[in-house]
Amino acid sequence: MATITHASPARRAPDRAVVRHRMGRVLLYALLVSGCLATLVPFVWMVLGSFKSSREIIRIPPTLWPENPTLASYQTILNDPKLPLGRFYLNSFIVAGSQVLMILFTSSLAGFVFAKYRFFGKSALFGFILATMMIPAQVTMIPGYLMLARLGLIDSLWGLIVPSAVDAFGIFLMKQFIEGLPSELLDAARIDGASEWGIYWRIILAQIGPALATLGILSFMGSWNSYLWPLIVITTHERRTLPILLTWYTSVHGSRTDLEMAAGVLVVLPILFVYTFLQRWIVQGIALTGFK
Amino acid sequence: MSALVKVVQNRWRRAFTGSKRGRSLFVAGALTPLMLYMLFWTLLPMVWAVVLVFFEYSATRRGGAILGLGGDNPFVGLGHFKNMLSDSLEAQKFRTSLKNTLIFAFLVLPLNLVITVPLAVAIEAVHERLKAVFRFIYFLPTLTATVGVATMWGYLYHPQQGLFNMILKALGATPKAWLTDPRAFMSSVSLAMWAIIFAYLWQDMGYNLVIFIAALQGIPREFREAAVVDGASVWQIFWRVTLPLLQPTLLFICVMTMLSSFQVFDIIQIMTDGGPQDQTRVMVLDIYLNAFRFQRMGWAGAVSMALFLIVLVVTIIQMRLLRTQWEY
Repeated sequence: MATITHASPARRAPDRAVVRHRMGRVLLYALLVSGCLATLVPFVWMVLGSFKSSREIIRIPPTLWPENPTLASYQTILNDPKLPLGRFYLNSFIVAGSQVLMILFTSSLAGFVFAKYRFFGKSALFGFILATMMIPAQVTMIPGYLMLARLGLIDSLWGLIVPSAVDAFGIFLMKQFIEGLPSELLDAARIDGASEWGIYWRIILAQIGPALATLGILSFMGSWNSYLWPLIVITTHERRTLPILLTWYTSVHGSRTDLEMAAGVLVVLPILFVYTFLQRWIVQGIALTGFK
Repeated sequence: MSALVKVVQNRWRRAFTGSKRGRSLFVAGALTPLMLYMLFWTLLPMVWAVVLVFFEYSATRRGGAILGLGGDNPFVGLGHFKNMLSDSLEAQKFRTSLKNTLIFAFLVLPLNLVITVPLAVAIEAVHERLKAVFRFIYFLPTLTATVGVATMWGYLYHPQQGLFNMILKALGATPKAWLTDPRAFMSSVSLAMWAIIFAYLWQDMGYNLVIFIAALQGIPREFREAAVVDGASVWQIFWRVTLPLLQPTLLFICVMTMLSSFQVFDIIQIMTDGGPQDQTRVMVLDIYLNAFRFQRMGWAGAVSMALFLIVLVVTIIQMRLLRTQWEY
């Protein structure tokens, strides 16, 4: 081998380059695939745990693969009278759904106004909106709670929805997007006798579908996964959202890892399911906006 | 009656149609409620938060007429901030949580970058079809609710039932109490903190990864091709071409990652609740515990203001540092 390559130096260089390239490729894929496997380990371990029986899961040494796979832990959770799981899904859904609708409406409307109209104090107002994005949620958390208490919204789903109906980031995103639309479109509509509201409702909204989808999905996930605020605001069991439910469940059945894992699967699954369908939008949205 | 309605409707429509007046009415009509809403839910709490800092306030006491301040909730001036430097128990807890937050943030940022930047370059180098698959999988944890992440990792770290100790035992090493052993340290950072950091990184990586991949796709191919023609190695291309072109994205990522890791709460509250012996007690947890478990909202407000200032300063420093690097 060495003699052959030595004998034909003209061919040696490309060959070695090709080999090195191939080796590099193999190494690259090996690294990426093992990284993927490592990423999946926690999911797999949780799912495996959820199929172990309550006796198997506490066995020492632990088993890797469930010896007698059982759905008992899922049955326990789904039949638990103190745990109407459907209720918690519904709560999460009500909160996330109404938040998304309100954020989409307010963001697109304000974004439209800031993008396409000139008026007194515009840049100051927009600056104010951007500045509010800098305020960390922890700073306004305590007064926010006190305000809800005064409004009688503590321990109600309204308390989760109302404070976040207007979203500074959403306004910013929509303004950026709508600025890219041609203004001739609006003028044409005005000549045809459309009102300003009509322009927003019929023309702008029809043009910003992708931006609405992106903002909608990001807001939905943010709301669906949010933890700290519901933890503070909600005190009655029936009004909890899914994430709070899971920790409550853990604190009640602390030692039952099998139930915990089944509950974990039930909480994590819906979002991952949605993700498989909306992957493109979610990834695009984050890449585009840089926000979680 | 209906005639009157029609007249009003027509007036209304004319007022909104085409005319300059119509436009300003629309602007005012659309923005006024929104801005009032923002003033009410963002500016008012902000002002309130600033005021609260100067009082020894608890929601359980009635206090004075205005916002319950005064009376049983006395004015203490800068007392809370002076207290932060004292030897009181809450001040010690505050300083511990400040220290832990800094440790957390300054470990998370470099670890995150060291993993995500090369990973993004690697994913960007593979075939289009596979790229989508890899991106899909690496992004899964980011979408998982933090409670889910904490549940999974709590089970991985479980002292008897967990996978990690199972592996350690199989390798003949002594199993560890990952989240509960107050005497375990690695490079003088507590083991529990490391455990949290890894779970956090696992979840947080996908987000930066997606942004880096998008940024890499924005770099024109010609740059790298030209470097290849000039005989540059993969390594040289990475350091001399790709990385410098990623600078603006890097700045953005650094700031955002820092901001979110200064505000870490969910995962810690669920996995360790600050333990063992306050080794993972971070500032937001400190704020939460003081405000909502011990009802010391004035003090908690002061801590949150301190967090705000620190975040602000760190952000400004980062912007300065990384921006000067762009210049050349």
